[in-house]
Amino acid sequence: MTDCPDGMMRDLLPEYARGVLGAPDALRVAAHLATCAECRAELVLLGRVHDSLSLGVPPVDVASIVRALPAAPRRSARPAAFAWKHWHWQYAAAAAALVMVAGGGMMWRGAPDGAATRLADSSHVRAAVRPESTPPSPASAHADEGISFGGGLSDLSVEDLQTLLGQMSSIKALPSTDPESMTPVIATNEGGKTL
Amino acid sequence: MSESNRDVDVRQDLALIARWKEGDQRAATEIVERHAQALARFAATHAVRENVDELVQDTFVRAFNSIESFRADSSLRTWLFTILKRLVLDRQRAERRSRNRVELEEDHAVQEFDALDGMVADETMLRVRQAVERLSPMQREVFTLRVTEGMAYSDIAKVVDSTEGACRVHYHNAMRAVKEHLSDD
Repeated sequence: MTDCPDGMMRDLLPEYARGVLGAPDALRVAAHLATCAECRAELVLLGRVHDSLSLGVPPVDVASIVRALPAAPRRSARPAAFAWKHWHWQYAAAAAALVMVAGGGMMWRGAPDGAATRLADSSHVRAAVRPESTPPSPASAHADEGISFGGGLSDLSVEDLQTLLGQMSSIKALPSTDPESMTPVIATNEGGKTL
Repeated sequence: MSESNRDVDVRQDLALIARWKEGDQRAATEIVERHAQALARFAATHAVRENVDELVQDTFVRAFNSIESFRADSSLRTWLFTILKRLVLDRQRAERRSRNRVELEEDHAVQEFDALDGMVADETMLRVRQAVERLSPMQREVFTLRVTEGMAYSDIAKVVDSTEGACRVHYHNAMRAVKEHLSDD
């Protein structure tokens, strides 16, 4: 018995014989078999090997095997509404993050002034929010204790907000961060030599 | 890209495992039905025909007890074959240690094959069987898994603890040896 020179095709024959190939490969092998006597002979041999090796193998008693298996895990007794699905964990993580942020804000409010001024000089912010003539509102009075990350615009009164908007319109534009143009000046003497 | 039948089988096995984990005992029956006979064929190639049932059962018991460790980086069938192979090796070692009768075991194996040969009525089938029996243990194992199960080289490599390339070489050498044996007669 000679071998087909197409090694790749010969390699596929056992899988073709057992029917585990995908449709495109199976079609390729079938087309090759139509023209290759060597591969047809090898396919017949593969069938004989399979039959001879299967001969004498006793049929397995499935029921007795299943009886010996461990019982399947019991279904969860919790109602489905309380089962921790994937998205429940996401909500829980988001809630935990919110609690941490709020907790951090509350801790910040209680921090000493020095700690607040390490991050930012809040006096400008307070000045912009509350002009000298305006009496301090409870919220702005609270802001005197330091920058509050826990509060926000909702802590300001209507008067404070109007004042803030008015002052924003009077803020001059910030200086440009581009470098200023500069013309180098080279000092020379009368002869034109560089000093 | 089309899905091969092997891919479909893998997907169905994973679905059955999931069902069993959810408490469906019938899924276990389906898993056993799908793979038990293939495991029995593999066990029989190791000349352990008298306790094939026991080996296959132990394989499933061990697999279901450690199903959480099944990573699905190979197919369930490959994983089961690997477990069975380990069980066979463990038993062979235990027998050697306890009885120290390697020669007796070989005699026993020969008698067993002789008895099987009597069952093979077809002359050609008998010659094919003898040709396979003459292969080296590694060649026989690779050849059997490839021919009887259509297993991919990558999966065979996991079962026999070798490489894909080595398994390919073992298979083709085995095929050549079988052909030569048949053409000699």
